[in-house]
Amino acid sequence: MRSRTKGAIAVLLVISAMLALPSAQSLPAGISGVQQSGCNCHGAVPSDSVVASIDGLPESYNYSETYNITVSFQGGPSQEGNVNQGGFHLWASQGSLGVNDATAQLYNENEVGHTEAGNDQVAWTLTWTAPATDTNVDFILHVNSVNGNADGAGGGTSGDMWNKLTITLGGPVEVLEAADPFVVLGVLIIVSATLLAFTLVFVFYRKDPEAFDWDNFAPWLADWLTSTDHKKIGTLYFIAGLFFLGVGGIMAMIIRIQLSVPGNDFLTQEQYNQFFTLHGTTMIFLAAMPMINGFANWMIPLQLGAADLALPRINAMSFWLQPFAALLIFTGVFSGHGADTGWTGYAPYVVSEGAHYGTTMWAAGQIMLVASSTLTGINFLTTMAVMRAPGMGWMQMPLFSWSVLIANVMLFLSIPAFGVGLIQVYLDRVIGTAFYDIAAGGDPLLWSHLFWYFGHPEVYVVIVPSFGIISEVIATSSRRSVFGYRSMVYALAGIGVVAFIVYGHHMFTSGMSPTLRFVTMLTTMLVAVPTGIKIFNWLMTMHGGSLVYRTHTLWALGFLITFTLGGISGMFFPSIAMDTHLHESYFVVAHFHYVLVGGTVFGFFAGIYYWWPKATGKMLSEKLGVLHFLTAFVSYNALFWPMHRLGVWGMTRRHHTYFVTTEEALGSLPMEAAGWNMFITVSGFIFFFSNFIMVFNMIVSSVRGEDAPDDPWGGWSFEWMTSSPPPNHTLYKLNDGSWGLPTLEDANEHIANEPGWLSSWFQRLMVTDQETGETGEASH
Amino acid sequence: MSRPVAEDLPATLMRGVSPEHTETTMSVMTPIFAGLWEHYIFWSLIVGGFAFGWLFHHSFWFTSKDGEKLPNVDEIKIGVFPKHNDDMRLEVAWTVLPFLLIVWLTYYSWGPLDAMWTSADGGIHGYECEEGQSSNNSIDSSGIISSDCYHVIEITGQQWFWSFDCLELGTSICDTGTETMEVYGSVPVLSLKKGETYLATMTSIDVTHAPWFQHLGTKEDTLPGQQTTLWLPISESMSEESMVLCAEYCGDAHSVMAAKLIAHN
Repeated sequence: MRSRTKGAIAVLLVISAMLALPSAQSLPAGISGVQQSGCNCHGAVPSDSVVASIDGLPESYNYSETYNITVSFQGGPSQEGNVNQGGFHLWASQGSLGVNDATAQLYNENEVGHTEAGNDQVAWTLTWTAPATDTNVDFILHVNSVNGNADGAGGGTSGDMWNKLTITLGGPVEVLEAADPFVVLGVLIIVSATLLAFTLVFVFYRKDPEAFDWDNFAPWLADWLTSTDHKKIGTLYFIAGLFFLGVGGIMAMIIRIQLSVPGNDFLTQEQYNQFFTLHGTTMIFLAAMPMINGFANWMIPLQLGAADLALPRINAMSFWLQPFAALLIFTGVFSGHGADTGWTGYAPYVVSEGAHYGTTMWAAGQIMLVASSTLTGINFLTTMAVMRAPGMGWMQMPLFSWSVLIANVMLFLSIPAFGVGLIQVYLDRVIGTAFYDIAAGGDPLLWSHLFWYFGHPEVYVVIVPSFGIISEVIATSSRRSVFGYRSMVYALAGIGVVAFIVYGHHMFTSGMSPTLRFVTMLTTMLVAVPTGIKIFNWLMTMHGGSLVYRTHTLWALGFLITFTLGGISGMFFPSIAMDTHLHESYFVVAHFHYVLVGGTVFGFFAGIYYWWPKATGKMLSEKLGVLHFLTAFVSYNALFWPMHRLGVWGMTRRHHTYFVTTEEALGSLPMEAAGWNMFITVSGFIFFFSNFIMVFNMIVSSVRGEDAPDDPWGGWSFEWMTSSPPPNHTLYKLNDGSWGLPTLEDANEHIANEPGWLSSWFQRLMVTDQETGETGEASH
Repeated sequence: MSRPVAEDLPATLMRGVSPEHTETTMSVMTPIFAGLWEHYIFWSLIVGGFAFGWLFHHSFWFTSKDGEKLPNVDEIKIGVFPKHNDDMRLEVAWTVLPFLLIVWLTYYSWGPLDAMWTSADGGIHGYECEEGQSSNNSIDSSGIISSDCYHVIEITGQQWFWSFDCLELGTSICDTGTETMEVYGSVPVLSLKKGETYLATMTSIDVTHAPWFQHLGTKEDTLPGQQTTLWLPISESMSEESMVLCAEYCGDAHSVMAAKLIAHN
């Protein structure tokens, strides 16, 4: 023990001695090793009478520029005629120091001092080369003012004085260090995911603060991960959809930063190509589709008066395919080689060697989404065919249910073509098949046909459920039954039919046969008829009604404006002589954002504000809702409206930059295009951030929202018949006060021929319960 | 450089192009495009004005003061499919009227199709010119150019540049070269003669591209292994310098796959 203590003391003494010993070298070889610790070689304390200075440093440096600097001092015992006059030591934290002559010497690129030859002077010239990055640089200068008594007592340093100077130099202010956009994207995704995880844990904590421990958390989490309840899966779809809406939005903002000024280099071409590809794929497949499924999962069983979907386990599988598909789609990003094909992935580029490695997994992820959508289609079609409440014929289904039915029919019939195309692309890329190998006789137009045969119905798949939401919201807000229920259904069905015969308008400049182009020009014009019927029916629903302004009402009215504008701009494309100019221009970008954001997303917002109280049992704040609507609606229009003009001017889609024509140089766009692009970028950021008002509203509502009544808005369909939120196992409050499955009454006179011939025919395809030997009534 | 403005167009082509739209805004609008555009804008304003006027009126007229007791116009009750609210005449009206409008718009858009898809065998551009023969372009009131004959050139797309080939045409009719542009760097140049019509036969060496002749308002994909064609009728009023951009996404340098079109006298 004693020896150990002695040892420790000895070590401490050695360390203290090492710290105490002056580490600097003194005359005549120069002062070195002082850096920030100070110079104690010529006297113990610095002297104010010695004034050190560095001349020649700029206020802020330019990257890699070399500066001539002079270090000097005044004062102290030094005077001309002394044997020695002084010395210095300079340390710079960044960049590299250099010497000009024999009066100074370089210890390393950060340290320089005088030499013996430089001992009898008070100023030395040096060079300093600035670093190539943007950073602050610290300079520390020590000088000795020497009285020249080198031969005298005290080792030649007695009577000498020294002092210290510290300077901090800023980097160039005009050029900032460029951030890697992928790092920005990655950080933002991680931050978003972390915030989401915190929010979810907080939700669990709020549920019961007393039971906030792992023993309770694990089963709670396991329940969410394994649930087959339509409400829970609906919520999961919703969280996933909103999360990816944010991710897609972040990518959109990065794209807009790049496009804010002409000739910008924030993103390289290669990065830009990945960003617009993933923005499109994310928004359509990972944001819009899951949110539709979120609404549908929640509301279809509730509107039909059913207890769940027909195939709950298939439903869970449909959902759980999605997060893994999302990981695959994004895989390439982690190596900087994300898919760069556009969401349309045109062949043969998509199978060419030039396309990034990430394209393979991008295709694989989408194959999983095809599987997910197919299962979802089977599930919803079955549910709607066999699980409607007694009394609910096809023509008594709420319009939102009808819209989901039509959307799933379209999806179910079109997505196999996309699946086939993706599998071909995947095989071409992985095992070297030759579906799109031109040299081996592959056809580049085959992919375009397969893709758009799916792609055009797909864009209707994402807009039609919004039609359903708007029908519900406008009718309920006006206290009216929707005008022309039957023509609404026929119009939906009409959209479902024409969806399959118009896709050729995406290929007006593709080299496809002029006959086909002409036919699709005619059919595309036809789309205006059913959508026109719907818009006029919505307007007529308000007639004679009593419109109650709630946030969802505002969003529905906003939808009517923006979707109508998007519909009108859509009519310009089938006029082929205009389309040859507008195709692949920003006019197209403006159009589809008007229908997909102003249509689909605004419809979703209306749906969120409409059904949130039912799903959570808490009311949202109307004040925050109105604020969200006003900021988002105005900034949205400012964001996308000017794009129409940019497109006519000749701004091309999927170009990582653009150039304006100036007096000196020919570009492809007029000068004003630059200003409008900046305006669009600023509006885009306002729109992006305005949507966080809704997120904030949701959080506030969850934490301390008012309790929601069962039917806060006065709707008629079955979802308002259950409690808010509905019980764990979905059941309804029946008229006699008990809980059970409801029966629909009809305020109209009974229709004698219900079910109609179509319905009877469809019923014949079904296996009835009698045939399977199950007991109970045959479902409708 | 000269900036093409609508004023350069013959007065007969200025259909509906108002003076404040001159300067740069109309620089890329061909007469055919401008004619269709103005017509569509006219009908858009009528349809939009009707729909938005209606929406505006109803949004403020049929409203309810949000009081204690909410009005319930159609006696809507939970669990009861509500009374039908429809009017056959109205629903037929807004099925038939939009249909008539699109029939009209289709008819109106039909004419210019001829200008794009006319046959190379005796269409509005006649047959291929003999050596030394001129197209002698003439332009009608809707901006459609017809010619006595046409010249054939070749365009090839490749990652990431355009190749133009005048074949056996003389340099006074068709010329190619390269030029260093301030913003796009070195680009290929295609120089065509005003008043002549060209038929471009196009293909691609690698992936799909599409030349967008911005001031001709036209583009068409170039496909590997296939041939596509594109009419390039050069009017007397064609701007002297304009850009050709790639409009079909083709990979890394897609956005700078540019060329310059010169219309010479």
